Amino acid sequence: MSQIRTVHAKTILAMSLALAAGSALAQTATEAELAKKLDRLAAELAEVKAQLQQLQQKQAQAPAAAPAQTAQTAAPATTATAASTAAPAVAATPATPAYSSSLLGPGTVLSSYGEINYNRPTRASENAQADVRRFVLGYQHRFDAKTKVVTELEVEHAVSSADDPGEVEVEQAYIEHQFTPTWAARAGLFLIPAGLLNENHEPTSFYGVERNFVETAIIPSTWREGGVQIVGTFDNGLTVQGGITTSFDLTKWDATSTEGRESPLGSIHQEMALAKARDLAVFGAVNWRGIPGLLLGGSAFSGQATQGQSVEKSRITLWDLHARWTPGRWDFSTVYSRGTISNTAALNAALVGNPTLIPKSFDGYYVQGAYKVWSHEDYALFPFVRWEQFNTAKSYADLGPGLTPDAARAERVITLGANLQVAQGVVLKADYQRFRENADLNRFNLGLGWSF
Amino acid sequence: MRVLLAASALLAAAPTSAFAVDYLSADQAAKLMFPDADAFESRTVALDAEQLQRLEASGVRGRSANWPVRVAKHSGATLGFIVVDEVIGKVELITYAVAISMDGTIKQIEILSYRESHGFEIRLPAWRKQFVGKGASSPLRVGDDIANISGATLSCTHVTDGARRIVAVVALARRAGALT
Repeated sequence: MSQIRTVHAKTILAMSLALAAGSALAQTATEAELAKKLDRLAAELAEVKAQLQQLQQKQAQAPAAAPAQTAQTAAPATTATAASTAAPAVAATPATPAYSSSLLGPGTVLSSYGEINYNRPTRASENAQADVRRFVLGYQHRFDAKTKVVTELEVEHAVSSADDPGEVEVEQAYIEHQFTPTWAARAGLFLIPAGLLNENHEPTSFYGVERNFVETAIIPSTWREGGVQIVGTFDNGLTVQGGITTSFDLTKWDATSTEGRESPLGSIHQEMALAKARDLAVFGAVNWRGIPGLLLGGSAFSGQATQGQSVEKSRITLWDLHARWTPGRWDFSTVYSRGTISNTAALNAALVGNPTLIPKSFDGYYVQGAYKVWSHEDYALFPFVRWEQFNTAKSYADLGPGLTPDAARAERVITLGANLQVAQGVVLKADYQRFRENADLNRFNLGLGWSF
Repeated sequence: MRVLLAASALLAAAPTSAFAVDYLSADQAAKLMFPDADAFESRTVALDAEQLQRLEASGVRGRSANWPVRVAKHSGATLGFIVVDEVIGKVELITYAVAISMDGTIKQIEILSYRESHGFEIRLPAWRKQFVGKGASSPLRVGDDIANISGATLSCTHVTDGARRIVAVVALARRAGALT
């Protein structure tokens, strides 16, 4: 048996190698030889499998009261298959297809993505920065056909120590169990299904060097919470998700810093780092992909957020509507998201005089269009343009005359640039961003990203 | 590069299970796609290095030199061909079957199993229908004549690339007289 496993392991490994190899290059004689070797291995494996099936058949036939299960295992090699119609006789069905799916039980897959970015403000070149924005390693391990664990470990800004700006974060760590082909459950630390980017945040999945502002300032991606969720996938194209998770910690609000102005929820998310968990949240998301190329969806998240640390209670709610349409070479998308924090008048009363009070509401939207203008083998060039408008402090609760802060002006940003796919999973990006309110932020960006 | 670190136990082999993510067996798919067939003959198309290079030159990666093909027959006449193949979605393998008519175009695509956490939607009939009637002269590329599914780009791309490869391999084999 161990020999069979070895052959199989080699086949799988060689297959992966063969699949990953040769992007834009012509197939060389060596590759052809490799392909032949692979086929020889596959043939050997098929032979071994056939022998095993014969053995199993014999075993099944030996005791008269053979369990039906064993007979079923042997079915593919016989003419009487599991299909209901008896009429078509399957003549000499091969013992195994080229690569048998049945051999892919437990397996561990390594994955990674990374972003290396360069930002150069056009009016303040002294603030130009180069950064290993994210370096992520993850694995997925399948325990059986229905159960797997998915993890991602991220390092931001390259170096993390007491004297360095970096962070090390567990971005995802959850178990997924499939109950039926329609229903699955996840438990652990997972991404909240909000907007278009949060669950699909790899650099190869979005246009532009930096993630859009709506899905960083309003939806605090990469936004994850700990809890349980169920996922239902239906044949009409509907996917529904819902669950109970940890919530935000509003008592972390730092009124002396501008962090809350940059991203209200980003400054108080807990990321399951000794997360205060007295108050929980509920969330739900619906996405419909019934027409090829079209995605329509929405999500909502709501939970108490003072965690019993303050006598005041407060509820944080965030919802979004999103759409993406990819007809042919075009790629259009839009997201609108709005968040509210309740009872901020009472919470802000103690913070008056500080620069950043807690907003009552915040929102933003973007519209984006991209076009595949050129492609050759795996190379593809996608120019894009994105218009965003967002306001992280759209309104404040009334604290009385002279005390209530003025609502912020909505920032409007236009981003113009292009993604160049160099290989499937590798992207070069360049863009220019123009800010209408704070033109000092105008900048050129360059980026390199990968994902597998 | 993806590395499948661990292989599996051979005894887990029971693809007829309706559980989890296996939707159809290869035999069930063959009958579903050619309901009129009274027999399926199994052949192996073996491509030589030159044929593989010709595939490559036409923009299709050969990947494998040997391709098991089922020939659907009715009273001895050939109805078409079925190829069962696997491609990697994002991190897991997708098993699918492509049925090809006598005119060389795709008759049907069926997803036999899908294991990813996202992108189940490639199973949807509406997405798979896009392939029907497309042949070796069609682009068969995501973002061209095949619409993408948002959030399942890699699965869509890899199945589409796989279907393009199968169409090309069957066409090449038929030209060489290997699938009469």
